[in-house]
Amino acid sequence: MAERKKGFVVAAVVVIALALVPLVVAREYVFSILCMIFLYVTLSQSWNILGGYTGQINVGQAAFFGIGALAARLLWVAGVPFYLSILAGGLSSVILAIIIGLPALKLRGHYFAIGTLAVASIAQITVGNILPGISFLPAQHMATYSLIPRYYVFLIIMVTALAAVYITVNSRIGLGMEATRDDEEAAQMVGVNTFKYKMIAFLISSFFAGLAGGGFAYFNASYYWYLPFTLMWCFEPILIVFIGGVGSFIGPIIGSVCYVLLKELFALTLGEANLLIFGIVFILTILFFPKGIIGLPAKLRQLFRRRGNVVGR
Amino acid sequence: MQSKRCTLVVAMIAFIFFSFTSILVFAQDAPKSIKIGASISLTGRFAAGGIDVADGYKLAVKHINDNGGILVKQFNKKIPVELVIYDDESDPSKTVTRLEKLNAEKVVAYLGEFASDMNIAGLGIAEKNKVPWVGVTIAVENVFNQGFKYVFGPNMFSFMEVAAFLDALDAIPKAQRPTKIANFELQVDWGKECTKYLQKYAKERGYTIALERKFAPDTKDFSSMILAAKSAGCDAVFAVPTPPQSMALIKQMKELDYAPKATCFVRGPDLSNFWQVMGKDANYIMTSGEWTPDMPYPGNKKLVADYRAQYPNKLMGMPVGNGYSAFQVLADAISRADKLDRESIRQALTTTNIVTVKGKVTFDKRGVGNVPHVLAQWQNGKLVIIVSPDYKPAPVLVATPWSKRK
Repeated sequence: MAERKKGFVVAAVVVIALALVPLVVAREYVFSILCMIFLYVTLSQSWNILGGYTGQINVGQAAFFGIGALAARLLWVAGVPFYLSILAGGLSSVILAIIIGLPALKLRGHYFAIGTLAVASIAQITVGNILPGISFLPAQHMATYSLIPRYYVFLIIMVTALAAVYITVNSRIGLGMEATRDDEEAAQMVGVNTFKYKMIAFLISSFFAGLAGGGFAYFNASYYWYLPFTLMWCFEPILIVFIGGVGSFIGPIIGSVCYVLLKELFALTLGEANLLIFGIVFILTILFFPKGIIGLPAKLRQLFRRRGNVVGR
Repeated sequence: MQSKRCTLVVAMIAFIFFSFTSILVFAQDAPKSIKIGASISLTGRFAAGGIDVADGYKLAVKHINDNGGILVKQFNKKIPVELVIYDDESDPSKTVTRLEKLNAEKVVAYLGEFASDMNIAGLGIAEKNKVPWVGVTIAVENVFNQGFKYVFGPNMFSFMEVAAFLDALDAIPKAQRPTKIANFELQVDWGKECTKYLQKYAKERGYTIALERKFAPDTKDFSSMILAAKSAGCDAVFAVPTPPQSMALIKQMKELDYAPKATCFVRGPDLSNFWQVMGKDANYIMTSGEWTPDMPYPGNKKLVADYRAQYPNKLMGMPVGNGYSAFQVLADAISRADKLDRESIRQALTTTNIVTVKGKVTFDKRGVGNVPHVLAQWQNGKLVIIVSPDYKPAPVLVATPWSKRK
């Protein structure tokens, strides 16, 4: 209990510190990097609640992210206040999740993954065909564009997502999700309604993916309509969760910070070799630290203990 | 009274002294370099074109710095150029953060990149940050109808590509000249814009668009379109496919024995390795000729010679020349700007009038480049210019049926 209290205090201090950043930092570059970190934390945590806690591998996150971006941008540009537009983005993503989830969550294992990937591909092609052009911000929005409100929007979305995931996974629902992940058939045998828990996780996941999409639409000055639907948005959250630690609350946060900052650092210092080196780091992480960065201290402790035993002999 | 006068004299002396020293400081305050930034796809799916663009920029910087830099009016001295290129990994989100980083590093201008996705993300940031942005390959005119002030495109646009294609048809002797055009429209903004201009210009110039078919950017099977064009008796084809699609289209046209007199694929055949991939099937295909190594404009020979000396095993693609030309445009604006700041450079860009390695460049009020309308055609392994407003182009060759080609 004391540990949990300590955790809350640390989280509150971090959030307050992040909220104060615009008062002490004036560089837009810093905001743009922090916005990306907040975006990826939201997106990866939204993937984690379904993939990490419930064991349902969603490879179609781009569809939910994209539909959120599309709805939010259309509404915002049409004159709806941005906060309502972003909320509408999250809700439109939930509606898509209900339509997709009812049949798709009856599929298991690889079939669910393939089904969600198909949804993402269909969404990308459809949007690309219907809206082949570019979404520009109208002149009045462009004239008043500032990164600071965008920073706060991403921060609020991220904090809300983290709070929602934390409360959910530490509740009775969370137990149901973990039971579904660990052994779906056994859970059903003891009376757990696994479909219900999968659906709840899917809806929460989609809502925050949609909100993140809405943030993307509010953040970017100009982009091709299909861009938030590209498959990159499917794979990056998975990559981040595996780097940080799948099925843990802190994992996606650490993964997002490392992913964005390391990639930035590598790209700025290593030039064309950056992707190769990042790829090697990723492969090594998966090979030697399957529990991600979050599992690193335990792995190292285990390693040192084993070495100590050898010396002792 | 005396003391008041004394104070006034001291104040005057101090004023003159500070004014003089501040002028001295001002005069000595020329920066060590002119910092220009670009976010380019050096890795990822658009890396091939991105690296070519970057090579063009780097050669332009080398040539300028070999001569001491750009003569800056404000300091009346030549200042070397410092080009900062960051890799955006072919990811538009990273373009945004890289351009913000360059903004924080106080670059005086941005240079554009090869692929549209990144360019579109980038020009919004340029406008927001009020940093002049000089593009390389952004052919969509609609981008420039948004009222942007800081965005400039010194390259051929959709309406120029269409006009050049019709110029090529006009250049064919009347007895052999095609009259019925098939328009294969790529379902992106560029394709739609080309269709709009093709419909307009073809009507004005007496050509008939006998067939219009749309296709998506990931379409691989074009047989139904090709057969429809063949049965409609179309003797000319126009499209702006992706590079792999242009190759697939030609292969499928050959398989279906459809050889219109004129085929223009604006994108794909303009790449330097097109002949190596397609072999003799590339013959007669028309494409964008925005820049070729053979162009007679000043500085082009030196560019080609230096590039080949630096990269003896690399083929020299169109983006190299376009990148070099874009840098020339920006360097010219910097040399004409009253001050070495973003706003002065933007203003100087609006009055651009320079002959680059690909011809004369000016801008209209929107930032759309007025550049020579040029079209090229593959003729026996060589990409030759068949339409040019500035010099005598090679004659347009009318395609022969596939069965008669050796």
